[in-house]
Amino acid sequence: MSPSAPLLPKEDTREAALFFVVCALCFLASFAGLVARSAYAAADTWADQVTGEITIRVRGDEAAAVRAREIANASPGIDTARLISRSEAEALLAPWLGSSGLPEDIPIPFLIAASATRDAPAVADIIDRRLKEEGLDAIVDEHSVWSSDLRQSTNAAGLAALGAVGLLIATAVAVIAFATHAALLARRDIVEVLHLTGARDGFISSLFEQRFLMLGVRAGATGALLALATAAFMLFLVKQSQDQVWLLPQLSLSLTDGLILGVTPLLAGFAAMISARVTVMQSLSEMV
Amino acid sequence: MKERNISPDTPTLRFDRVSVSYGPGLDVLADASFELRPGSMTFLTGPSGAGKSTLLKLAYLALRPSQGRVSLFGIDTARQSRAERALTRRKLGVVFQEFRLLEHLTAFENAALPLRVAGDKEKRYRNDVRELLEWVGLGDRMNARPATLSGGEKQRVAIARAVVMKPDLIIADEPTGNVDTEMADRLMRLFRELNRRVNTTVLIATHDMELIRRTPADVLRIANGLLSRQGQESGR
Ligand SMILES: Nc1ncnc2c1ncn2[C@@H]1O[C@H](COP(=O)(O)OP(=O)(O)OP(=O)(O)O)[C@@H](O)[C@H]1O
Ligand SMILES: [Mg+2]
Repeated sequence: MSPSAPLLPKEDTREAALFFVVCALCFLASFAGLVARSAYAAADTWADQVTGEITIRVRGDEAAAVRAREIANASPGIDTARLISRSEAEALLAPWLGSSGLPEDIPIPFLIAASATRDAPAVADIIDRRLKEEGLDAIVDEHSVWSSDLRQSTNAAGLAALGAVGLLIATAVAVIAFATHAALLARRDIVEVLHLTGARDGFISSLFEQRFLMLGVRAGATGALLALATAAFMLFLVKQSQDQVWLLPQLSLSLTDGLILGVTPLLAGFAAMISARVTVMQSLSEMV
Repeated sequence: MKERNISPDTPTLRFDRVSVSYGPGLDVLADASFELRPGSMTFLTGPSGAGKSTLLKLAYLALRPSQGRVSLFGIDTARQSRAERALTRRKLGVVFQEFRLLEHLTAFENAALPLRVAGDKEKRYRNDVRELLEWVGLGDRMNARPATLSGGEKQRVAIARAVVMKPDLIIADEPTGNVDTEMADRLMRLFRELNRRVNTTVLIATHDMELIRRTPADVLRIANGLLSRQGQESGR
């Protein structure tokens, strides 16, 4: 004779539905988590890249530009300062003005790109003052100003995203609890027969806890893996069509990504397990 | 054979002024008192809807009395903890009127359920359960699921499950309601065997007066919420 069947029946349609619900919710939650995480990372890289960049626009002749470059270069806290050539400037403007080049007679301000060492205090102001002293007509543009604006706004967006992920997780847990409860009501007869046969509450409950823990973990892992696959696929598509990848979310499977993908199934399994326990214990408490 | 360390004087089952009401105007049992001596065999009879199943539910701890006290093996069950009541239930073998077999388990697994719940290993009980199922005429239906069994076959699986632990008290609700006279007598013999050989106390609800006449046992009668004992000596 074959070894005895488990005391609980195989999954029925209700549990299959629960699997689907948990899987879908975990997909959404971990996808949102991955997106939020990678948006954070992208904003970080982006802000890092522009921090320390100073642009100086010089009106006047080339001599003024060269002089301005020398002043900038000599300022404390500046690594390098270089004059951007007319052709480079045209290339930068090409997206807006077309690639046919600019008519010779349109004046383009000379541009100097300077990179400041990290945390050099108020370099831009110093350069600006010196240029003014020399009587040069120049505007100093410090990216770190707007990069801190950028940081602030990405922090706010990140916080909002995090809030959304949190809400999604809370919803997922609640829905898993409800669905588990519903799936279990159909098992009340089994609970009662086991109870009347002399099974202890903890024994009966643990049967269901194990079952729903496994169901939650399997469904959660499936959802999380689907989320990972979807994120990777989306990134692949975008990378195919654009080359400015640095603007895009970074999917590098960092520790955080791993954490999101690992925690999702555990959370789902735990939510299902706890609600199974609560439901069974509640049913049992109504029995003598 | 199991050890019994209950004093021979302690009643197996005792009702003290037990009343049950399912709601206002739904009084099923009023002030019922009786006791079953260890090793006794008793029929509970009465018209349909009189409250036989209700009384048995009180006895197998599926229902709390509205008033009064139900004691098993000398202990007031209301004073027991849930874990203690679970252990008390393991000394009972119950045949439910509606069988309550687990649909996903085979006849063999259903019959063996109490052993599993009590933590026994299958290889230790396999032969006993087989023998028992053969005895109730289900030797060739052991791997069948309840859905594929006839009413009488289900009933016999339910009976096998009730007696498999050689319980101290068997409580059977219409255990012969779905079988022919010959099988009914065979099943009664099973209860009698346990009653005689292991001193099992037996309480059987039935409205089959013929069965009662054929089987020597005490008779409790319930009608209009009142319980009365009818003189018929246990033929031991
Ligand atoms: N859970 C319940 N809620 C309300 N009323 C109930 C409940 N269970 C039983 N009753 C009522 O209590 C009365 C006794 O029912 P019970 O099942 O004990 O009768 P019985 O003697 O076993 O009948 P039968 O011979 O038909 O099995 C019936 O009138 C029934 O309708
Ligand atoms: Mg009944």
